[in-house]
Parts: sequence; C-alpha cells; structure tokens
Amino acid sequence: MPQAEPAVTVQEVSRRFGHRWVLRQVSLEVAPGEAVLLVGGNGAGKTTLLRVVSGLLRPNKGSVKLGGAVGMVAHHTMMYDALTARENLTFFARLHGLSIRQRIDGLLQRMGLAHVGDERIGTFSRGMLQRLAIARALMHEPKVLLLDEPLTGLDDAASRTVIDVLGELEQRAVGLMVATHQLVELVGTAHRVGYMVNGRLAAIEPCAGDAGQVVERYRELASGG
Amino acid sequence: MASPLSPILAIAAKDLLVERRTKTAFFSSLVFALLVLTILYFARDKTAVGDLDLAPGALWVTFTFAGMLGLNRAFALEMGNRAIDGVRLTPASATEIFLGKVLGSLIFVGLVELTAVPVFVLFYDVPIWRQLPLLLLVIALATVGFVSVGTLFSAMVVRTRFSEVMLPVLLLPFLFPPVVAAVQLTRSLLANRPLSEVSGWLSLLAGFVIVFSTFSLFLFEAILEE
Repeated sequence: MPQAEPAVTVQEVSRRFGHRWVLRQVSLEVAPGEAVLLVGGNGAGKTTLLRVVSGLLRPNKGSVKLGGAVGMVAHHTMMYDALTARENLTFFARLHGLSIRQRIDGLLQRMGLAHVGDERIGTFSRGMLQRLAIARALMHEPKVLLLDEPLTGLDDAASRTVIDVLGELEQRAVGLMVATHQLVELVGTAHRVGYMVNGRLAAIEPCAGDAGQVVERYRELASGG
Repeated sequence: MASPLSPILAIAAKDLLVERRTKTAFFSSLVFALLVLTILYFARDKTAVGDLDLAPGALWVTFTFAGMLGLNRAFALEMGNRAIDGVRLTPASATEIFLGKVLGSLIFVGLVELTAVPVFVLFYDVPIWRQLPLLLLVIALATVGFVSVGTLFSAMVVRTRFSEVMLPVLLLPFLFPPVVAAVQLTRSLLANRPLSEVSGWLSLLAGFVIVFSTFSLFLFEAILEE
C-alpha cells in the first residue's frame, strides 16, 4: 500500500440512538486505493459506521477525517423516481458545482445505462438503479467511496459490472469501505476485512480472498474467541 | 466557477420538474382552493354577510390550506428513496437546501394563488384593482412567511407517522398571527382604506416574516440531521 495521507481516518467513534449505543469506540484507517470490507451480523453497526463516515450522521464521540470528497451508495438510491437517469445525474452534478455533460454520458455508458438515460428511473430494475446510484456516487470523482450492500438484489451481470467498477477505483487511489453479507462475490476486491460485532470493530485483518476463512473468523470473533 | 445561487436554483427547479411530471400536489391544491371558494360563496346569506366581510377570510382560508397541501409534499418527495441523503452528500449547505426548497414551494404556492384569484374575483364582487400593488405586497409577504415556516415544519414532520395530519396541527398555531394580519390588511385594502389605518397589522406581518424566516433558516440544519 502506498504511504500517502489516509483516505479515511476514524478515531474512537461512538454513536448512539436513544440510549442504545450502536457504535462503540471504532477506530480504523483506510489508505488511498485500499478496499476494506466490513462484515458483521444485522445490527452490528456497519451501516451506522458508513453513515457516520459519510457525514450523514454525527458521532456522539470521536472524529472522522476524510482525505477528499466522499461518495456513497446505500440501500436506497438517493434519487428521484420522477426524473430520468440523466436528469438525476445532472441535478446532483449541479449541486457539486459541476457542469459535465460529457462525464454524465460517460458514466451512463460505463454503467451500461446509456440506452435508458432518458427514461424515468421509477421504471428501472433494482440492478439498473444500483448501477445508476454508483454513477451518482462517482460523478464528482470522490477520494472515498462508501458502499452499503452494493450487490443486494443484483443479478450476475449487474454484480459483475459493479465489481469491475470497484476494481477500477483501486487504480484511481479511491479508498473503499464496503459493508456486505455477500462475501463470495466481494472478498476478492478487498485488501482488509473489518469484523463488526455489537457495534465494535472486533478486528481488522488482511484479506486472503477466501470467503470461507472470513466467515470462520467472524464466527470466532462473534462467539467471543 | 459555479454561481452561489446554483444549488438553490437547482433544488427549486428539480422540485418543480418533479411536480410537473407527477402533477399530484398542484391539482389537489387547486381543486381544494376552488372548492373552498365555491362552498363559502354558496354557504352565505348575501343579505346578511356582505362581500367585503366574507372575502378576506375566504381568500386566506383558501391560500393557507391549499398551500399546506403543497408543503406536505415538499419533503415527502425527498424521503422517497432517501433522496435528501444524496443531496446532503453534496457540497450544498443546509442554508442552500432550505432556500431551494422555499423557492420551489413559493413558486408552487404562488401558482396556486394566481389561479385561485380570478375565481375569487368572479365569486366575490370586490375591487381588487384599486390597491392591487399593496394587495400583492401583502399576499407576497404572508406567502413568504407561511412557506418559510411551513418548509421547516414539513422537514420536521416528514419522518413521523401521519405526517400529513401532523403538519397542519403543528403549523397552524404558528400561522395564526400572519394570517390574521393578512386578513385585516386585505379587508382594509379591499375597502380602499388608507394603509396608515392598519400599519400595526403590516408591522406584525413584516415582523413575523423576518423573525420566523430567519429562525427557520437557522433551525433547518438541526432538523436535517437525524
């Protein structure tokens, strides 16, 4: 890994909803071009961690430092059903202060959506919406990309497109944090795996690319091993 | 370099484009406005209640409740697919998001008002032309105040259950001062009375707009956060 300024620095972050702490003193760094996979059961704090890193949620304790602009792909598309794919991207480009028609065309092309660019996204399949959400998140060339279950509901072809795009981001020194349950598909893209258990980052370790090993290690940590 | 107004205009333009595509809020607001004006017209005894007595109240009841239907939708469309999160992930500030939403709602409510006024003139034989510029000023002031506070409350209640019921319940007590002031000013202007007679109401209306619009602007950032 290059020894550059970290893309993400999370220091002792805790977050609670009401009286329940859903993140407890989480610390980690993600280097530029590094992909960190976050694994854990439902309610382990993966989504909350990504929302805190993105700035959508403020931590109750601790701090987050980003090495550049952030993009995020979550369960929801974060776009408007009544607008077309191109209108959605143009709207978000304007909010980013960009005027990049050619880039929007390029992104639609890369995501395999050029032929439906002028159709309302309310008619899109889950796979098309997810690819469009990635286009939205990449439009401003972020230095950090956060993905929450990016392959949920996607067929093989759509999953392949998403995985290929994630692979390209490593070359562009984008730091990736990916929360997922779909280890088999995504473990090959990860440099390290962070194991979340009850709001804590129980361990963060290099990834050997074997989903079975990751599952075993998670079970060990979750059972207090 | 992008204009500082660009995010505000982009948000307002997007809201209006979504409304143009779906047309739900505009038509429901318009039908409601026409219905209220018609019912109040036919419900009264013309020999007992004169046009000048009923018209100001009818106008502001119509504007207030028709506008509220539009405000209800202002943030509902942001919560579908959690689009508001996508907006918050951009460099657009909470102030720009608020002003964009207010501008979009102002144009929306303004269009509903503009469409309702000819029906109002048709039903109620009141001379709106005599002091039209001042009447427009009163309508504009009250609408800005109403939409600013309404936008804040719309953002507040959108995550609650029964948000469509919650918005009027929470908003109406706050709208009491500006709506009463607008009714009094409208009555005076339609009767062709000098503005000096109701300068207190005008001060109240202007004060409400300045204080509550500023208040809403500063509170909005906290409301945006979960």
